[in-house]
Amino acid sequence: MRTIIQGLVGGVIAFIIGAALLGIVRLAFGLSFWGGEASLVAGWLAFVIGWLLGVGVWEYWVREWFNLPVKKFEATGTSRYFTFCTDHKVVGIQYLVTFLGLFLLAGLLAMVMRAELMAPGRNYMSGATYNNVMSLHGTIMVFVGVAATVGAFGNYILPIMIGAEDMAFPRLNALSFWFVPPVAILLLASVFSNGYDTGWTGYATLASSTREGVIFYNLAFFTVGFSSILGAVNILTTVIALRAKGMYWGRLPIFVWASLGTAILSLIFTQFIALAMIMSLLDRVAGFSFFDAFAGGDPLLYQNVFWFYSHPAVYVMILPGLGIALEIISVFSRKPLFAYKWAVFGMMGVVVLSALVWAHHMFTSGMDSPLRIPFMITTELISVPTGLVFLTALGTMWGGKLILKTPMLFALAVIFNFLIGGITGIFLSDVPVDIQLQDTFFVVAHFHYTIVGGGIFALFAGIYYWYPKMTGRMYNERQGKIQFWWMFIGFNLTFIPMFWAGLNGMNRRIADYVPDLGNINFFTSMSAFFLGIGFLLFVYNMAVSLKKGEVAADNPWGGYTLEWQTSSPPPLENFDTPPEVVGDPYGYGEPDAKHVIFPAPAATD
Amino acid sequence: MKKDLIIAVILWFVFTAVGEYWAFNANMFPIAAAEEAVFLDDAFRLLIILAMPVFTLVLTFLFFSILRYRSKGDPDSDGPPMRTNTPLAAGWLAITTGLAIFVVINPGLKGMAELSANPNADLVIQVTGEQWHWDVSYPQYDLTYQRATQIALPADARVKFELTSTDVIHSLWIPAFRLKMDAVPGRDTSFYVTPTEIVDTEMDSNVRVQCAELCGTGHARMQMAVRIMEPDEFEAWVAEAKAMTMSGDMEGMDMGSSSDSMDGMDNMDSESDNMDGMDSGDGDMDMDTDSGMDMDSGDSDMDMDSGSDDMNMNSDSDG
Repeated sequence: MRTIIQGLVGGVIAFIIGAALLGIVRLAFGLSFWGGEASLVAGWLAFVIGWLLGVGVWEYWVREWFNLPVKKFEATGTSRYFTFCTDHKVVGIQYLVTFLGLFLLAGLLAMVMRAELMAPGRNYMSGATYNNVMSLHGTIMVFVGVAATVGAFGNYILPIMIGAEDMAFPRLNALSFWFVPPVAILLLASVFSNGYDTGWTGYATLASSTREGVIFYNLAFFTVGFSSILGAVNILTTVIALRAKGMYWGRLPIFVWASLGTAILSLIFTQFIALAMIMSLLDRVAGFSFFDAFAGGDPLLYQNVFWFYSHPAVYVMILPGLGIALEIISVFSRKPLFAYKWAVFGMMGVVVLSALVWAHHMFTSGMDSPLRIPFMITTELISVPTGLVFLTALGTMWGGKLILKTPMLFALAVIFNFLIGGITGIFLSDVPVDIQLQDTFFVVAHFHYTIVGGGIFALFAGIYYWYPKMTGRMYNERQGKIQFWWMFIGFNLTFIPMFWAGLNGMNRRIADYVPDLGNINFFTSMSAFFLGIGFLLFVYNMAVSLKKGEVAADNPWGGYTLEWQTSSPPPLENFDTPPEVVGDPYGYGEPDAKHVIFPAPAATD
Repeated sequence: MKKDLIIAVILWFVFTAVGEYWAFNANMFPIAAAEEAVFLDDAFRLLIILAMPVFTLVLTFLFFSILRYRSKGDPDSDGPPMRTNTPLAAGWLAITTGLAIFVVINPGLKGMAELSANPNADLVIQVTGEQWHWDVSYPQYDLTYQRATQIALPADARVKFELTSTDVIHSLWIPAFRLKMDAVPGRDTSFYVTPTEIVDTEMDSNVRVQCAELCGTGHARMQMAVRIMEPDEFEAWVAEAKAMTMSGDMEGMDMGSSSDSMDGMDNMDSESDNMDGMDSGDGDMDMDTDSGMDMDSGDSDMDMDSGSDDMNMNSDSDG
């Protein structure tokens, strides 16, 4: 708690200083002291600096650098999770819990949207309010998608999987998490300034003419980008430099490969979203005209820069999930991961191709018509490396001994849902067909199948799979299975009808629709409420099992990867003796398979 | 396992056959009111036909494995250590690549070529999007409708829609045509369509113009009715519309008076400044547009809280 109070105090002081400095400059130019949006932007940028100084930068970097006495605040027990803690396992839990909270909040917003869409006409809210709710839902969910899985398990599990003691840059790791709380506060604060109605995409030129709440969106997206980039640098460095002895590239668990691909994407592309946000802010606040067609700009420029990040970002959301699903399928089929190298090749193929597909979001934007062809080709082709993941999943299961426990059920659902998401993606990438489907509920259904059905189901698979490792206790298996079926059925009942609605004249982001679509929307809303209740079961299971769950064994699933070869939960530096990797992690069923040995400590001295 | 494989492949064939039967015969589309709609539906159907074997392959093997290989309780031994099968993986890669390239060509490139095959238009309709209404003009007939509530189209004529916007990005979508195109400020975009069916919005709500790009508060209701007529009926409509214009009804149209444009500067508190022009222009349309949908005009419960009139000033010269 102390950390958060320090951060808030530092942030507020800095906000005042930042806004005041701008105010003085404004006064010097004969303007009013308070410049509205401009002052908010200046204040916010200062707030972030003040917040970071308050939560730990002052203690961990500044004082130490200048040889001042450092009084580090080392907490233990639960209170660690509220501090600037450099233990990667604490950071992983911080990410997981924070983003689960945001996920539930944004899920609640989805319920509000479905309530309004239950019947045609205005039911509970104005068009403006609906747009605010929709925009906030989308933005928060995108942040959750980008950061939840790789933030939680990329931090907690990945270093253990490669036999490292911690991440390569532990302080940077803590820093990258502490960017998140102010972003959450900022997004929620947008509600008090009437919100913003641009959706999560914030297209020009709506963004420059709409309510002032849109700057909260711009600043939040800009700020959370730092978290992504720092996290990506850390994961890349950790995987390159801190692998245990004998952990050759060909022996890396598939989840590590997936996280590596994710980190490459985040590192390269996140700066483009920051650029899009800065240009959008400058247009609005400082009177630039990057996107204003009537002052020499081009609204399509925004879309190009925005999607240059935001398409790779969907692979940031889905790749770690596919990695988790494949890990689990191998362990719970008791078979080696089939065609491992092909799967790695597929994931890296996705990373490369994802840089070349962004304009498929713009097929009806009025871009030069023949220019759409290369993007159609690259987008169709990206289904090829993705397809290798399906080959691996099916090949691994074939002839295995499937243990259908909760993590496995979720992992199999990832394959099922992502198949539907992937195949409908082909429809959207084909220009003639996309002309009808673009900006309809078909698109809404498609990306929920990939990002929720793939990414979020994989997040749940990972939570159930690693719950015993992270907490030292088992979750309730029966409740877990009930929650799985509840969520799986609810999810499919919610999103399958949306394909039909989109094909039949329901466009997205609308508070109201033609009466003919009333029945399908009523059904969808009911299914969505059912789906929403399913998450309460999950929260209950997790919360109760934390105290009352059976004490977990070190390796309850019989997994070969390194995180199962240490205690549950692992000690501070993960292993009592440094592990040495002697084989690949998927030798299930092979008589003499061994992934790791722990040489006697005496040998090290 | 060899027996399992044979069973699974047979199941795959069966499911594919059932799926293809559905794909070829299912009536999954709303009304198709234009030539383009018919062949775009065929393109959609072709994709389903091509995707079906892939879809059933994964599902068959997924569910076959789940049902056939599930173990009751914890198994006492591991499965067979199959590592990889290079011919299988390479074949998988080749087939999926081939399929991807196939769909690029057909329906992808083929459909694109078909859509832009004929650049000769019988009728040009210019549409300008503006928060939250459409201005429609027929330059060949000197007809202009500000804040139009309806578009009249002749059947069996090739119509070119020329689009632009004066403020933010809008998108003109007519679901029954399967076509949409964004209206972008500062840009001229267009598409061609050949309406075929004699239908209007009242008969089927998919025969409507719907804004398909999020454009702010009034986005959902930024609609227009569409009425497709027999060519001679359309001629009569044009003649009547021109007669009305001659008789001076043009005064009712919104000429963008600048006095009420200026007080829209504050985004938050101008509830009323959009209302001045709301009822004008509508009287010029000689058809009944009360179709049960909430059209943009005269819809008093719409909370237009963003004063967009400061951008409306020049709309006439742009349109």
